[in-house]
Amino acid sequence: MKLLTANRLTDGLTLWYTGTLEAGTWGEDAALASRLSDDDADALLIVWKLRETDVVAPYLIPLTETGTPVQREHVREFVRANGPTIGQTADAIASAHNRADIFEN
Amino acid sequence: MSANMYKYDDFDHAFVRDRNIEFADQVARRLSGDITEDQFKPLRLMNGLYLQLHAYMLRIAVPYGVLSSKQMRKFAHIARTYDRDFGHFTTRQNLQFNWVKLAETPKILEELAEVEMHALQTSGNCIRNTTTDQFAGAARDEHSDPRPWAELIRQWSSNHPEFTFLPRKFKIAITGARKDRAAIRVHDIGLHAKPEGFDVYVGGGMGRTPSLGHCIRTGLPGEQLLSYLEACLRVYNRYGRRDNIYKARIKILVAALGPDEYKRQVEEEWARMDQAKVDAPVAEIDRLKSFFPDPEFKAAAFDRVAFERAQTADAAFARWVKNNTNPHKRDDHASVTISLKPVGLPPGDASSAQMDVMADVADAFGYSELRVSHEQNIILPHVHKGDLYELYRQLDAVNLSTANVGKITDMIVCPGLDYCSLANARSIPLAQDISQRFEDAKLSDKIGDLQIKISGCINACGHHHVGHIGILGVDKQGIEFYQILLGGRADEKAALGVITGKGLPAEAVPAAIERVVRLYLDLRTSDDERFIDTLERVGRETFAGALHEPA
Repeated sequence: MKLLTANRLTDGLTLWYTGTLEAGTWGEDAALASRLSDDDADALLIVWKLRETDVVAPYLIPLTETGTPVQREHVREFVRANGPTIGQTADAIASAHNRADIFEN
Repeated sequence: MSANMYKYDDFDHAFVRDRNIEFADQVARRLSGDITEDQFKPLRLMNGLYLQLHAYMLRIAVPYGVLSSKQMRKFAHIARTYDRDFGHFTTRQNLQFNWVKLAETPKILEELAEVEMHALQTSGNCIRNTTTDQFAGAARDEHSDPRPWAELIRQWSSNHPEFTFLPRKFKIAITGARKDRAAIRVHDIGLHAKPEGFDVYVGGGMGRTPSLGHCIRTGLPGEQLLSYLEACLRVYNRYGRRDNIYKARIKILVAALGPDEYKRQVEEEWARMDQAKVDAPVAEIDRLKSFFPDPEFKAAAFDRVAFERAQTADAAFARWVKNNTNPHKRDDHASVTISLKPVGLPPGDASSAQMDVMADVADAFGYSELRVSHEQNIILPHVHKGDLYELYRQLDAVNLSTANVGKITDMIVCPGLDYCSLANARSIPLAQDISQRFEDAKLSDKIGDLQIKISGCINACGHHHVGHIGILGVDKQGIEFYQILLGGRADEKAALGVITGKGLPAEAVPAAIERVVRLYLDLRTSDDERFIDTLERVGRETFAGALHEPA
């Protein structure tokens, strides 16, 4: 299983793909990111790499069986999903989406 | 009142305006899909625009760290209007906005041009913003003001056609004082301006392969500075490696050739070139010097008794005066450092409200002039001592009176993995944990001058190689670990710290540092023996054991 993520071209914000191979959308809340099969994820990545006026630098995040990013990517993806862990904008994403941090474990 | 600093002429205004029009067009073409990200990326980087983990980041040049109150107010306005109400001051004496939108960048650059600012040469393989002593023109131990020379280098290096595509980025620092506050030995070129001319150090740097610059010339007359720099850069541009990004900085070339051979090639190049074509005419150097006169110093008599009475009555003020002021060339003035290192917020950050207050106090008490230091603090270079108490009170009202300059909590810290796409580990949360551990004013004053510098990856933006205690974040299969370096220093006795002991998880670092510090307090021969002095006297190994929990 994998997640598809990117940054939005216009403002650079971190985006997560929600949907299926056939139809889907991008959103700012990582909690809504779809867990995609490896084949679907690979196919979607090829599609979205070409759609450069929407997103920048899309890539796939491999997941563990429990659905969190693999250890190698964990800190980086935790920070991307939840925002800076300290400072003026810490917790801003969680409160904007009215939820707790994700990828905690 | 307007600050005494370089002022744009018609040429400068047209130069920046043309560049902004060009970049606005490039942004429009990227948004419409006429150019690809691969084509656009080098263009945006040449205009200071990065894409980080969460958003675009715009790095704005503050030439040699000199800033007017008007420019600071513009930063506040940009933070409020286009960002999330704060900005981050960097070790290159620049300012970064962490949450700007691509589509709004041309408008931000237009606003900056109104106050004679831009984002050129804050990225890319060109000559970057020259850094210098934050107390330039004010410090009591200064023998030569570095600002006119830094401005000369800025004008020479701006869009220099020969040096726009160097093998790698290139950083120059200048000091003109007895004490080196500009870290010149860890720059690609470090210049020490002395009355008899410049000492030129080449090949210093941090990053993956840290090294100290070698002195290849002394007594270089200022009138020949540009041609000599051009010869140094030309040899590098010709022979610096372009096949391997990790071996592309000038320090690698100087080490490969040996400093003597590098110097020989520079001198040969210098002798061959038409120096007069490159060097600035004496009249131009004089013109640049004329932009940096002393302010019209306030004539009011300094009431020493009232000043001392205020310190007796307000111990916090007394401590701030002791820790945050630097000796000024005039007895009735001081240079004030506004610490951007409070407990609880990222080092180097300032909110728009704080920026406005800094601009206001600069107007009221500091001849409208501010500086950014490479330690990520803000400086008012000239303040009449009679105004210090009122200044302190106004800063204190907006959490800008932290009295920790040069102390253990005044850390240089890179943004780390909380923002930066290159980082391997977070820096800011660790800095906060250390800050909290040494929050006690009595303890941190007792420890005295101790510099901790933290980087979240090997690129060393947090200067960890030259911290008395340096901390380097590394990634061990997805877990953040921190290596501790001891014995570095960036001053006139520059030395590189050495990795000591095994890497530690984040939660073990503050306690490890406290054990090292407690050992230092036991070992020092007097209160005046600083941590770095004790460490150099007894040896680094003496402290190695203290880094790890006793078994």
